Amino acid sequence: MNRRPRAGISMAAVTGFLVGSVAVLSLLLGDNPALFGDGAGAEALAQNLALPGDALLRLLMIVLALSIVFGIANLLTLHIRRLASGRLMSGVLLSSFAGVIGWHIMLPGEPSLLEAIQLPIESALAALLCVTLVAGGARILTRRSDIWGLLFTLVVVLVLLGSLPLPELAPIATFSDWLMRIPAQAGARAILLGIALGSIVVGVRALLGQDRSARG
Amino acid sequence: MDLTTQQALSLLFVLATAVLIYTARFLQSRGGSRRALRPMSAFARIPDWSSQAIEADRPLHLAFGSASLGEDNTAIALANAELFQRVINQNGAGDTPPALSASAPATIPLASATVAAAWTGERGARNVHWYPQGKRAFGYAAGVTAVIGDDEPPAHILAGSFGAELGLILDSARRKRQATLAVSDQLAGQAVAYVLADEALIGEELFAAPAYVAGEARAADAVIVMDVWRALLMILLTLALALGMAGQLPWLSWQLLVAAAVVALVFAAVLWTIRRRR
Repeated sequence: MNRRPRAGISMAAVTGFLVGSVAVLSLLLGDNPALFGDGAGAEALAQNLALPGDALLRLLMIVLALSIVFGIANLLTLHIRRLASGRLMSGVLLSSFAGVIGWHIMLPGEPSLLEAIQLPIESALAALLCVTLVAGGARILTRRSDIWGLLFTLVVVLVLLGSLPLPELAPIATFSDWLMRIPAQAGARAILLGIALGSIVVGVRALLGQDRSARG
Repeated sequence: MDLTTQQALSLLFVLATAVLIYTARFLQSRGGSRRALRPMSAFARIPDWSSQAIEADRPLHLAFGSASLGEDNTAIALANAELFQRVINQNGAGDTPPALSASAPATIPLASATVAAAWTGERGARNVHWYPQGKRAFGYAAGVTAVIGDDEPPAHILAGSFGAELGLILDSARRKRQATLAVSDQLAGQAVAYVLADEALIGEELFAAPAYVAGEARAADAVIVMDVWRALLMILLTLALALGMAGQLPWLSWQLLVAAAVVALVFAAVLWTIRRRR
């Protein structure tokens, strides 16, 4: 079994708790002298409390910047290994990587590689995505033959009809507008609120060392 | 609301969540108070996919999307890692390590640590892919469909932060008859997941994944705490709505609102009692 020793896990949990608690307290309570009364030292105390949070955020920025180097190293080693095992797509990826680096060295600042290759490919993928989504939407009734699939199709048809510039369809346009403004917005906010609550719970669990991924 | 009140409320919220987590864990550990989770077909299919991957000697594809440590969606990345760790545990009897993909470089160490903690196969085996995304994230979708598609994974678990580009990955998987489970913290990605994925989770269901996949009682504490906060939020929103209406409707009074709340509470208690007796 490829497991870390228990002492290592406890150490990670304790370190996570200490650093996390300091960061939370510093970021939540720092930079607000009103919390410490009207005394002369309140301003300095608030600034001092904000310092650990700022330092940790700066450290995070450095680590994030460094992680790109790790990302490139990971990309190269993984695809060299895959190419050696006969996966040709990894060869395409590696030669593109070398080509772009070579282009940048020989023609620094020249944007035509981006404009002539990357942007048209991304635009083509975006167009393909439109077709994919329409086809997927059309298939939904065969995949979800229940009330929700029917409701989905009905709403899509109503919204599409409502977007047509025909005066005869003005009532449908009004209804479609209401549908998008009220029920769709309410649903979207409910999903986002759920995600926010979940994020807070996961964050606090990680802080308390209850989260397996944070413990390692 | 002034800054001091905001800070106090935020701190109170974090502390209350911590207390609730420990309370839920204590209640879960007591015999007879285990909470049954409602069945969700998305999670029920994961063991089958793991078995298929082992039998076919193919990797499962587990995708973080653009979820990243140190960004707004750090909690999503952590929740994904916890889900993936449990999925890899189930998949551990196979010879091929799962393929993990991410578009944020800061997620690579998390993905590697996830495999290291859970994979029981060949030591040091890693299959973590990084595809840096452009402004529209199509680079990541292209990398996943082309390169990981080479591995012919029997199933893709795309749980993380995705935009509309998720449609390309899901369509490619469908054409190759590969199963898909998808959920995203972005609304565009969530909509695409609902329409195109074989199994879709919605919003916070991602955070309940460890309790379902591992079936551990201790993992259910997060679900209980989320439910408590959600119930409180619903009550607060309903109260705010009622109070807002009370200002506009002359016949709506405080006494009427209190009476309605008492009736609702009695009704809920009666329903709960009937359900318990059944």
